[in-house]
Amino acid sequence: MEYISHSPGETERFAAAFASLLQPGDVVAFLGGLGAGKTAFVRGMASAMAPDAEVSSPTFALVNEYDGKVPLWHFDMYRITSVEDVYSTGFFDYLEMGGVLAVEWSENITPALPEETVFVQIDRLSDNERKITVTGKEADRFEDLVL
Amino acid sequence: MKILCFDTTAKTATAAVVTEGKILAESSVTIGLTHSQTLMPLTDGMLKAAGITLSDIDLVAVSHGPGSFTGLRIGIGTVKGICQGSGKKCIGISTLEALAYGYEGQDVWICPVMDARCNQVYTALFEGRNSLTGGINRLWNDIAMTIDELGNNLGQPEIPVILTGDGAELVYKALAEKIPSLRLAAPGLRLQRASNVGFAALEHLKTEEPVSPDLIMPQYLRLPQAERELLAKQQATAK
Repeated sequence: MEYISHSPGETERFAAAFASLLQPGDVVAFLGGLGAGKTAFVRGMASAMAPDAEVSSPTFALVNEYDGKVPLWHFDMYRITSVEDVYSTGFFDYLEMGGVLAVEWSENITPALPEETVFVQIDRLSDNERKITVTGKEADRFEDLVL
Repeated sequence: MKILCFDTTAKTATAAVVTEGKILAESSVTIGLTHSQTLMPLTDGMLKAAGITLSDIDLVAVSHGPGSFTGLRIGIGTVKGICQGSGKKCIGISTLEALAYGYEGQDVWICPVMDARCNQVYTALFEGRNSLTGGINRLWNDIAMTIDELGNNLGQPEIPVILTGDGAELVYKALAEKIPSLRLAAPGLRLQRASNVGFAALEHLKTEEPVSPDLIMPQYLRLPQAERELLAKQQATAK
């Protein structure tokens, strides 16, 4: 499915609605470069899943944990270059722990992503406008998403 | 000799107390990776139920890998803590060897396989019976490889080869047609059991000295080269 967002705030609202359709064990993998709005999207997800959490890009921490009824784990794979690296972030362990994983720079770990991964591509149309495209085997679940 | 044993290398958290040829107590849970929360109450409850105190324990044994990154650190960290606090010595045992000890004395080969993701497994190969020394006989070192490579490396043995470990079903499905002598372990025998860590430790102690806790380290296995290169290439094109 595709959605055109006209502001970071609208992206966050879309992401919150998107997050309400997620289930424990889901992996959300972001595609899109610097400044596309990945962190804004995760902030929106967290507003629905872990309202008290302070969301920031885990570029240095590699993973941030946002505690909610279903925990949200926010990964940044920007500096990850090998399966060994993926292993030592604990990524494979988090897959078994019954939360939702949101993965920035998922391009870097493509072979390590589960088959059911939900891909969220964010393309910059203008300063404020973004095209959000949801794909993957499980994308049908988000077809009727309304704000 | 009483050995307190642990394995937290995969989805099961398991603790046991074994002595020569006997399990005195054992407790396991497989409810997902929450070992940091489950291992201590599980061990405490087991020791209380068995009426065993830490002062009855002579030595601590732990599966030191391969396995889950977080799991290895929880198991090793726990054992370091117990041994430092109590002044006891410890011994690290290969996770794969401990899995194979479930078949000690059988006229089979044992191929423990742990799912390392991305179509890769941690594996090794053992003979169930070592007629010279007792225990089991190691044929391969612990190694990470793809399932296809494992199939090629096993060849076509005539002797039954028992697949055990959390990757057993995955590998059996992939290779059973190609290798007719493969056998899949029953579900109850596939998961890690701390008692097998203890029985492996008892065998090792015939020829090895236990160590102080600062010397025990997680044994991470390197994943196959090709897979690492693949990721490096993807990184180059993504940037």
